[in-house]
Amino acid sequence: MSHAVDIRDLHYRAGTNFEIRELGLRVPTGSLYGFLGPNGSGKTTTIRLMLGLLRPLGGTITVLGASVPRDIPRILARTGYVPEQPHLYTTLTVDEALRFHAVFYPTWDWTWANELVGQFQLDRARRLSQLSKGEMGKLEMLLALAQRPELLVLDEPTDGLDPVVRRDVLAALLDYVSQQNATVFISSHLVHELERICDWVGVMDRGRLVAELPMQSFKSGIKRLRVANPPALPGDTPFVVLAREAGNGASETWTVRGWQAPMSQYFEGVGASLREVIDLDLEEGFVELLRTFREPRS
Amino acid sequence: MFRMILFTQWKWSRLTLSPLVVAAFALPVFSVQRAGNPQTTPWEARQLLSSLESWGVAYPVLATTIALFMAMTAWSADHRGRHVYALSLPIPRWHYALQRFGAGALLLGAAVIALWLGALFAAGTASIPAGLHAYPTAIAVRFALALFLAYAVFFAITAGTTRTAGYVLAIIGGIIAVQVLLETAGVHVALIPFIGDRLILWPGPLEIFSGRWMLIDV
Repeated sequence: MSHAVDIRDLHYRAGTNFEIRELGLRVPTGSLYGFLGPNGSGKTTTIRLMLGLLRPLGGTITVLGASVPRDIPRILARTGYVPEQPHLYTTLTVDEALRFHAVFYPTWDWTWANELVGQFQLDRARRLSQLSKGEMGKLEMLLALAQRPELLVLDEPTDGLDPVVRRDVLAALLDYVSQQNATVFISSHLVHELERICDWVGVMDRGRLVAELPMQSFKSGIKRLRVANPPALPGDTPFVVLAREAGNGASETWTVRGWQAPMSQYFEGVGASLREVIDLDLEEGFVELLRTFREPRS
Repeated sequence: MFRMILFTQWKWSRLTLSPLVVAAFALPVFSVQRAGNPQTTPWEARQLLSSLESWGVAYPVLATTIALFMAMTAWSADHRGRHVYALSLPIPRWHYALQRFGAGALLLGAAVIALWLGALFAAGTASIPAGLHAYPTAIAVRFALALFLAYAVFFAITAGTTRTAGYVLAIIGGIIAVQVLLETAGVHVALIPFIGDRLILWPGPLEIFSGRWMLIDV
């Protein structure tokens, strides 16, 4: 499997309070990779390192087969980037912003850009400082898409947007991906949004990558189990126990990862009985994963 | 690419640059107001030179003002966006900075041309006393050198982070503090005039700003 983004042993420190250490991350080519994490977990910093906006203290970053920071202009020419905060020159009009942006990208597609201006209902004569948050979000996405990138890096692209705008922006993104087979790296803390569109997921917390796996594995592998007469020590389990909570009487609720139905035999072997297997959605799985990461069991 | 960078620079600076360009044209014109009669006495000619000399201070001040303003507008939009946009564009950083510098420098040409035209107009319309000569091109060239030098210095400072600007201010503040401490301790060392002379007098790097800025001279 080839990787559009390949990060190994990345080390970066910002001040004394935040550090990314030994970060490894691989985004399969052609995937829609959801980069999840709570606020302040290091998602934006990782993206900035990936695009050469920050310099790491150690490690290697390869994007689209080229090395960061050595080949950054070549990488950026093939990458569409929507940052967390609007970053465009707000004194320009929409039309001027489009013309300014277009000259830097040899693959810029004016036909599609004009189509998107109509689709997003953007007023070309309007100054960027007068655009609403939603309009600015649409413009940022338009600029990233119309350059026909092989890789789209989107940092919280729909954060703060209303549902209608969010739907328009995501529809344009999915439309592009279906046409171009581009790789999308999308960071968000809106778990449900990523659940719908992504096929890979990476979870980050406190500067570390907690998990990286196909979305389907992530969703199907995390379960909540109701266990009667559980053993004091779970011993050698065929699944990963993320959390144990005492329930009523002699029962417990376990949150586990890597669950498959035949594994229920484990409970018979330890004198316990499995009463119920509850599916968790991505958000619950995400929360459990972070909780386990932050409070490792002794 | 350069055309679009030039366009943004023009858009950001035009409102302030326009009156400054007018000022550059007007400065030499106003400076020769006292040149009335070509049959002046030597005393009146000396008076004229003295008047022109007093106007001379305005040239480097104007050059510094225009340069400072242009350098600030070159980076202010990028500072507001924390340079994320410029850094995410697919060109080397030095290339972007060079083009930004070039765009500002090109627009500064308008001020130089305005001053040159103003100087030519002033020299052509003023009655110059016998023995004196007008140097419109020389003063325009000198103005251009001062303007571009100041622009380069301010561009370098404003391109940096707040921390860089802080270092520059800290150095200046440190020199002043040392001077005050020396004075307080009764040590009479003229540190500030010494450094100022090294910078402004020949062969100091800012020598172009000092000396006589005379449109009309002997």
